[in-house]
Amino acid sequence: MNDEAKSNCPANTGGEPVATNSPVPMAMVVLTLTLLFLGGVYFDHHSGWFNARVYTPYVSAEQLDLYQPKSGAAAAAAQGKKVYETVCGICHGNDGMGKPAMAPPLAGSEWVITAGFHRLAQIPLNGLNGNLQVEGKDWNLNMAPMGAALSDADLAAVLTYIRTSWGNKAGAVSADDVKTIRAAAAGHPAISAAQLNSIPE
Amino acid sequence: MKNGFSVFLASFLALSLSWCGFVLGPAKQLGTQKQAAVLNSSDVYPIQRSGAAALGLQVYRANGCAACHTEQVRQDGVACEVVLASAGKKPTAVSNLLSTLKLAGLTKEEADAASDKISGAGGTVETHVVPVGVEIPRWGLRQSVAADYLYDTPVQLGSLRAGPDLANVAARFPDLNWQLVHLYAPQAVVKNSAMPPFRFLFEVRNIKPADTPSPDALKFPQGFAPPAGSEVVPTTEAKELAAYLLSLKVDAPLYEAPFTPVMTKP
Repeated sequence: MNDEAKSNCPANTGGEPVATNSPVPMAMVVLTLTLLFLGGVYFDHHSGWFNARVYTPYVSAEQLDLYQPKSGAAAAAAQGKKVYETVCGICHGNDGMGKPAMAPPLAGSEWVITAGFHRLAQIPLNGLNGNLQVEGKDWNLNMAPMGAALSDADLAAVLTYIRTSWGNKAGAVSADDVKTIRAAAAGHPAISAAQLNSIPE
Repeated sequence: MKNGFSVFLASFLALSLSWCGFVLGPAKQLGTQKQAAVLNSSDVYPIQRSGAAALGLQVYRANGCAACHTEQVRQDGVACEVVLASAGKKPTAVSNLLSTLKLAGLTKEEADAASDKISGAGGTVETHVVPVGVEIPRWGLRQSVAADYLYDTPVQLGSLRAGPDLANVAARFPDLNWQLVHLYAPQAVVKNSAMPPFRFLFEVRNIKPADTPSPDALKFPQGFAPPAGSEVVPTTEAKELAAYLLSLKVDAPLYEAPFTPVMTKP
């Protein structure tokens, strides 16, 4: 330290100036915490929790899920596929080709691609018992009423799925139709091929 | 240096933190994007560009198009619209109900409430998802998302809009001749356009009466045609650039940018 600098030192401290600890003002602490809190709120509203698929104006994956468009036919087809694969696919196969000695094929089956759906709808509602010819082969069947526990909308969706998949090109079935058929078929025992044939298509 | 190791550690920490924030984080978040299914359809999106269009991206880049054009559409919000699919068995009751309800510009909750009311009266409805924003009707069907740029290297986002946004330009101007004429003489097809002409991407040829004109020759609107006896032919670069512009189409609803496409029946 040169002489000039030394002369600038306070005369009576007896040494170099030393920085001491001084408490942070309370206002600063409060301000920092407030800013942190506001930042947290902003993050909560706008980050989308770093989900790569969430862009503004959407704020969360849950909200984005809500806004996925569900067109009537596409949504019903998706539902029908889901129900088919959980309820029917185990025996009839997810490809609709059936399983030997277990369940006849649905793809191309003359019982499925009929103009009307009144006979077809009886089978899941009541179950099916006895001999039935499908695509030129004899089947001795004992099917439980698998569709009786399904809701009208689900059964309609699955019937529509069966009638429009794997190359089948028959018409759709609505929940109202299923409701009517179900009401008429209430309490009926497992149906047979002869009884099916007596029902108008 | 007295605190050499601390200084090194501090600067290493600062740099690696910013590297994590700017490089690692985004790469982890968006780096695994791949072709995805278009909503409610078996199509995939985006489609790899054709060879000419992929080369056209480099022409676009070389000519500095991104200096004046962006390729990003913004969206301010989203709304639902309730559309009647069928009036059912009691059409009068349904139509009376419809006249009392607000059917457009709804949140999802309001749309669900409205469609419940209409279904209760016997009608069938569909709920449409409609993107909302200043740029939506002008430039695109929905906002741009990372998946839109999957096959762009480098991504030509752009930051200044002296000209219009081009993210969805092929949907607005799907005509190849229009694109080429617009590159050769922008004012011929867009009055008062501020775009400079890109004449060097074209070749002006003299044709003798005996010659057949080139099939690629530009067809100009009235008053802008080159003098008789000459034709304007695009070079390979111009064709590639036009192919690229015609590949700029953001029309697929994705999970991250949903909307209900308006079906145009042929």
